Amino acid sequence: MKIPRLITLIPVAALVVLALFPVIGVSLSWLNYLFLFFIYLALGNMWNLLAGYSGLICLCPHAFVGLAGYTLAIGTLVGVPFQVGLIAGAVVAALFALLISYPVFRMKGIYFAIGTLVLPEVLRVWFSFWRPVGNVYQGKGAGYAVKGIADITLGDTYWLGLAIAVASIFLVYIILRARLGLGLTAIRDNENTAASAGVNVFRLKLYSFVIAAFMMGIAGAAYYIFSPRINPVGGFSIRWLLMPLMATVIGGEGIEEGPIIGSAIVTFLTFLLAPYGAWSLFIQGIILLVVVTVMPQGIAGLLRQVGAYRFPARLLQAVEGRIYKA
Amino acid sequence: MSETAVLSVNRVNKHFGGIVAVKDMTFEVQPGEVLGLMGPNGAGKTTLLNLIAGVYFPDSGKVLFQGKDITRCAPHKTCHLGIARTYQIPQPFTHLLVRDNLRVAATFGSKKGDTSELDEILDLVDLSKQKGMMAGDLATVSLKRLELARALATNPTLILLDEVAAGSTDAEIPRILAIIKQVRKMGKTIILVEHVMKVMVEAVDRIVVMDKGEKIAEGTPGQVMKDEKVLAAYFG
Repeated sequence: MKIPRLITLIPVAALVVLALFPVIGVSLSWLNYLFLFFIYLALGNMWNLLAGYSGLICLCPHAFVGLAGYTLAIGTLVGVPFQVGLIAGAVVAALFALLISYPVFRMKGIYFAIGTLVLPEVLRVWFSFWRPVGNVYQGKGAGYAVKGIADITLGDTYWLGLAIAVASIFLVYIILRARLGLGLTAIRDNENTAASAGVNVFRLKLYSFVIAAFMMGIAGAAYYIFSPRINPVGGFSIRWLLMPLMATVIGGEGIEEGPIIGSAIVTFLTFLLAPYGAWSLFIQGIILLVVVTVMPQGIAGLLRQVGAYRFPARLLQAVEGRIYKA
Repeated sequence: MSETAVLSVNRVNKHFGGIVAVKDMTFEVQPGEVLGLMGPNGAGKTTLLNLIAGVYFPDSGKVLFQGKDITRCAPHKTCHLGIARTYQIPQPFTHLLVRDNLRVAATFGSKKGDTSELDEILDLVDLSKQKGMMAGDLATVSLKRLELARALATNPTLILLDEVAAGSTDAEIPRILAIIKQVRKMGKTIILVEHVMKVMVEAVDRIVVMDKGEKIAEGTPGQVMKDEKVLAAYFG
């Protein structure tokens, strides 16, 4: 039997500990924080896949989150089980990505960014007036409550969030080591060269865009199981863009561990700064500015630059040597 | 038009706004041939390569590759069919390793996605030692070689070389000539755009001279150099 390396055992151990939290009586507020961390992590990972590896500065995660949340809410209202609503939400987000891909991919770089930014705004207005099911007086064509989740405990949603976060890490890990990842990084570096080297630029961008939309949709829908009420302002809120964006940029864009570090920081800051209300985003914005000025590669980039991983890696090797000799 | 030509460009026109970049261009390239494309700055040489590679589509006229109409084929499709190109100003994947630059081309560009010959290609263009470097850290001369290597990695039938020797010192020219000869021995057909006359005269079988988007002369290097129109275009 192949002996598992410590470097793979550590994340597995971390995962087991995290998974045990609801059982061993960790306080509800901690589960609460960690759940949000998982959701931001999943969003951040997908944002990093797009911006850091595919060259797509996508400013419409809130479109995917809002659409998935509404699909879940409307689905459960008409009697669909929430599990199906969750997947349906992700599928709707992915379909939306597919639908808008042709027009938005015609724009490059910053134009793509601006083109995507208007979409959630359109959806927000649309959902303020459009009410496919339910009585009008339930919020004047705006809000929906997510039904059919009365039996769900915070522990259950916590596990769901954990599963989504882990899935997003694995997804990026697999994509980057597959043919798709190679093509995407080529596109990010130079789109014209990628095309003349035989990369079907449109198709590969579409793959990553739709995959990211699906994953962001699942993460968004999971949030609305946790916080079971959606309205246009909340669902299509720009915070669904700012959180993954800040997590990725602070953590390190185009670096795999970047969003993990970054989303831990933004989640922590969100709760730390919560008492200051609207000032919270302002302060986070200033932190973002400082980070991009002082460390343009983000925290993970800086860690790599100064060789911060070298010591733990050597330590691990030494420990492994001791263990396997015995 | 002969049936056997690798590439035939037939009465191709392209203008950008009011500027005529390529006008009524017609020529053919035979299998295994090295065709030189010459002309003063702004003659339309690079535009012509872009029209063949599918970066631009012509306003009128046809481009046939091995008898197949590729006039409106996108760049990745012309690459899949067997046309590879280098850029005059090197356009590497700067954040990828040198070898990975080739791996992209081999994986996506060649028919089988075959990456087994990358080390031989790196050897051929003298980049073996730098294969583990970031492409963005290479010197200009090496970047030019990388362009050629990336083109070869797609295992093409026809290679469009846009000024591979430009910027090289006199001492480096013989090596570039040797590389071009080696590529030719591999059975590749080449269209060579070049300003360095030594490379042009020694490497090519035939030259097409362009001026202001039009073909003004065609023939062996010896014939073309004596052509009055060519002398007029270059020296006024």
